[in-house]
Amino acid sequence: RFGTYVKVLMLLLYYLQRVLLLVASDVDALCACKILQALFQCDHVQYTLVPVSGWQELETAFLEHKDQFKYFVLINCGANVDLLEILQPEEDTFFFVCDSHRPINVVNVYNDTQIKLLVKQDDDLNVPAYDDIFRDDEDEEEDSENETDESEPSEKRRRFEEEVIERTMRRRQRREWEARRREILFDYEQYEYHGTSSAMVMFDLAWLMSKDLNDMLWWAIVGLTDQWIQDKITQMKYVTDIGILQRHVSRHNHRNEDEENSLSIDCMRIAFEYDLRLALYQHWSLYESLCNTSYTSASLKLWSVQGQKKLQEFLADMGLPLKQVKQKFNSMDMSLKENLREMIEESANKFGMKDLRVQTFSIHFGFKNKFSASDIVYATASLMENIEKEGPETTNFIKALDSLSRGNLDKLHQGLDLAKKQLRAIQQTVASCICTNLVISQGPFLYCSLMEGTPDVKLFSKPVSLCLLSKYLLKSFVSSTKNKRCKLLPLVMAAPMDVDQGTVIMVGIPPETESSDKKNFFGRAFEKAADSTNSRTLHNHFDMSIMELKTEDRSKFLDALISLLS
Amino acid sequence: MPVVRKHSERMKKFKNKGKDVAALRRQRVEVNVELRKAKKDEQILKRRSISFSLMEERLSPGEDKRNEMVQLSLEEIVEAVNGSNTELQLRATQATRRMLSRQKDPPINQIIELGIIPRLVEFLTRADNAPLQFEAAWALTNIASGTSDHTRAVVEGGAIPAFISLLSSPHMYISEQSVWALGNIAGDGPLYRDALINCNVIPPLLALVSPVTPIGFLRNITWTLSNLCRNKNPYPPLGAVKKMLPVLICLMEHEDKDIISDSCWAISYLTDGSNDRIQIVVETGILPRLVELMASPELIIMTPALRAIGNVVTGTDEQTQAAIDAGVLAVLPHLLQHPKPTIQKEAAWMLSNIAAGPCQQIQQLITCGLLPPLVQLLDKGDFKAQKEAVWAVANFTTGGTVEQVVELVQSGVLKPLLNLLLAKDSKTILVILDTISNLFLAAEKLGETERLCLLVEELDGLEKIEALQTHENNMVYRAALNIIEKYFSGEENPDLQPGTGQDGLYDFSVEKHDFNF
Repeated sequence: RFGTYVKVLMLLLYYLQRVLLLVASDVDALCACKILQALFQCDHVQYTLVPVSGWQELETAFLEHKDQFKYFVLINCGANVDLLEILQPEEDTFFFVCDSHRPINVVNVYNDTQIKLLVKQDDDLNVPAYDDIFRDDEDEEEDSENETDESEPSEKRRRFEEEVIERTMRRRQRREWEARRREILFDYEQYEYHGTSSAMVMFDLAWLMSKDLNDMLWWAIVGLTDQWIQDKITQMKYVTDIGILQRHVSRHNHRNEDEENSLSIDCMRIAFEYDLRLALYQHWSLYESLCNTSYTSASLKLWSVQGQKKLQEFLADMGLPLKQVKQKFNSMDMSLKENLREMIEESANKFGMKDLRVQTFSIHFGFKNKFSASDIVYATASLMENIEKEGPETTNFIKALDSLSRGNLDKLHQGLDLAKKQLRAIQQTVASCICTNLVISQGPFLYCSLMEGTPDVKLFSKPVSLCLLSKYLLKSFVSSTKNKRCKLLPLVMAAPMDVDQGTVIMVGIPPETESSDKKNFFGRAFEKAADSTNSRTLHNHFDMSIMELKTEDRSKFLDALISLLS
Repeated sequence: MPVVRKHSERMKKFKNKGKDVAALRRQRVEVNVELRKAKKDEQILKRRSISFSLMEERLSPGEDKRNEMVQLSLEEIVEAVNGSNTELQLRATQATRRMLSRQKDPPINQIIELGIIPRLVEFLTRADNAPLQFEAAWALTNIASGTSDHTRAVVEGGAIPAFISLLSSPHMYISEQSVWALGNIAGDGPLYRDALINCNVIPPLLALVSPVTPIGFLRNITWTLSNLCRNKNPYPPLGAVKKMLPVLICLMEHEDKDIISDSCWAISYLTDGSNDRIQIVVETGILPRLVELMASPELIIMTPALRAIGNVVTGTDEQTQAAIDAGVLAVLPHLLQHPKPTIQKEAAWMLSNIAAGPCQQIQQLITCGLLPPLVQLLDKGDFKAQKEAVWAVANFTTGGTVEQVVELVQSGVLKPLLNLLLAKDSKTILVILDTISNLFLAAEKLGETERLCLLVEELDGLEKIEALQTHENNMVYRAALNIIEKYFSGEENPDLQPGTGQDGLYDFSVEKHDFNF
């Protein structure tokens, strides 16, 4: 299946000159976009790039451009709704959809003419069989009856066996089929989850076309790492995909291994690493990173006095002087850094942190600059959701996109600074939520609402930041609570969105369990709860589990959500 | 009156002022009905095969087994039916009925050849064994649903009295099945229809109609009643018709559209006859309801209602007036513009017959605004409907007063009428040429001949009439030649001089807004 799409896309690249790129606002989408842009560039394909942050923008962008373009490439948007239904395109308009959102809308799956899905063959889509959800004989009965409407009744009529039985049977079968269809679709659509990173899909495409470059590979790595950091995929999937990318990494980077000292300034090298799971630590101090990394902070319960004490013990166990730990990582004693990873891992094990090291990749630009894939993800995401207004909406998007280019180290560093601010803000908010018991059990789910006036609340009106906060908060809450039932609950989080319009942004995330399949049922539940209460909601985000809601409608909406999920 | 008409087969079927009304009364063209029937049969066949393929696919293993259970050979059936074991009789009758009710190729002939029909008829009388009665009734129903020979086999087996007495069976499903069987027998033709009527089928049948009768049952009764009203040569006996009419009229008030439809069809059969037959229907006062149903959005209701009223206006002037008084002229404009060509055609046919009435009725046509939709239909309608519209115009120009004809021309009839001279159908061309002659006769009376000539020429009519002089049909050629010689020969004809006294009073091309037809 993938093979044919490659051909289709190659056609697109070589023969169809004008393409409109619609790209969602997430790091994986940006990375996929970078890869595609590079492909377009080397083949001189003309394209126009339009960032879209939600369905409304997608629709507007389509309407604005549909007269000039016949070919649309959608990145990380469009797969999970009936595109033909919402966009009503002309018949000669085609969509190439590269989107990790699952489940894919069944119409998109089975429409092979206007919608071309870019999906990896080994992605398990579990799409219902065509015959289970579509029927071709819908109007048959009525059609044949209409034609006899004008003619005289027959003079003689035979009574058929089925006259009595068949008709009711047919109706019953029809009803059964429809009920089954509803059931199948319900099962298929009830959980949202994510498939293979779009950047990886795009890279695969480049590779199959023998046009893959080391830069593209790096973007694919960043895309995958984004999925991991945003907690969109299972650990299993992450490890598998890392394995796939590792093979590409060694293929692209083996030449440099013998001549390690001959790296020039603009040479780049990607390396697989078994690195520490500490956010931004190479660009921060080890101490700051330990404090602001969700994993360590939640494990050590750093919001409490005891937790702080534990951190001291942990550092002491490693034998790292506080002064060294608190200064910039770059300036730490080389001797301390030598076996740092092993040392930290050893102590972490004693403190119950068994997963402090993870498989990842890093990139070297010349001698000086080394970044881990997660550094890039944090930096890019922060640039994209930068709340300090610097011109039109698309500025952040363009800046974030640019920061992914090798030559834009200044933007990357700006992103890293913003990311540190973001992580601190998240950590402080988590601590205050836990300490003031803001996370409450509503029965079927946990609920936390940020009040207007909370520090950094503006940051959390942005979806990616709010999601990160929710995940960190849930992780911390699970480690802090003694209530076993609560440990298994999902979390709904709300934050003020637009004070003037009186709206909140709400996100629902799945439970924080070790074996979590990362499937999220809040999308459907939100829709239903909104419908049943006539709440004024806006389901604009490409993730259905993120939505906007009128503040006044919040309580009736929550009541409905509770009774729906109870 | 123009010569051409005498040669027109169709003219015999028109009522016409000043002619022998009985001879000119227009009846339904028989061929049309037959064509319709053929098409319908084709459709049923088509539908059967469709249902069959669906069936095949859907046969579940369970159903297979059930079918196997009753699978008996023909020999076994004969033996069991003729035997005395009632259990076996039932099973064999059921097996027979199953074979006869399968979608494809029911073995009607083979069953008849087994000679078991008399036995099946006998089973109808087994009041102690309702299942056996029912199975036999169903089997016989399906045999009677075949060709005339098949129906005859059932009737000659003595089924008529047996079924009639079963109408009063205490089991509703048996009496319903009997109604169905009797419907098939009545539908065979006037002979068996009257045989049933003579066996007094009507009173017990009508007794089944009550407010609590289930709709499905009532549909069957209505259809059987309609078959008892159906067919001519001879018409159904008057007494029977008079008994059925009040019930049919009740059924027309039902809310079920199939019931309304079939009762309207019954009325349409009853009105498809001589004027005294029409009179019986008119006297019931049902015309306003029929007109109301003519305006129904349901095609299956609108069609027979339209047909029935269409038949009524083929009757006497008084009968036609009754239809007009019932409001038919208010409904017609919509029907003339109906998206279905057949409806357009029926409506235009009705209009042509009203236009064949006295000038008072023609005046009502004008007053009720029928001219614009008529002109529109003539211009853009389905061809069959256009042909009927041509007849309407022809009748109008024959029976209308000079003033009425002027009004017709002013409504823009000439242009589409002349355009239709390009039609391939020579009969239609003849009627149009005839109509043009009528127009010229009116123009002569007004001394406006030259004006009409000019108008015909402006509308490229002259060109078309001239072209018809080379038409292969002799009558067309002569009619065209006649018009050219009389009005377009170029020589001054003293007879045609304007100013015969009323000049200026009537103006064919009149008002500016009407000028560019």
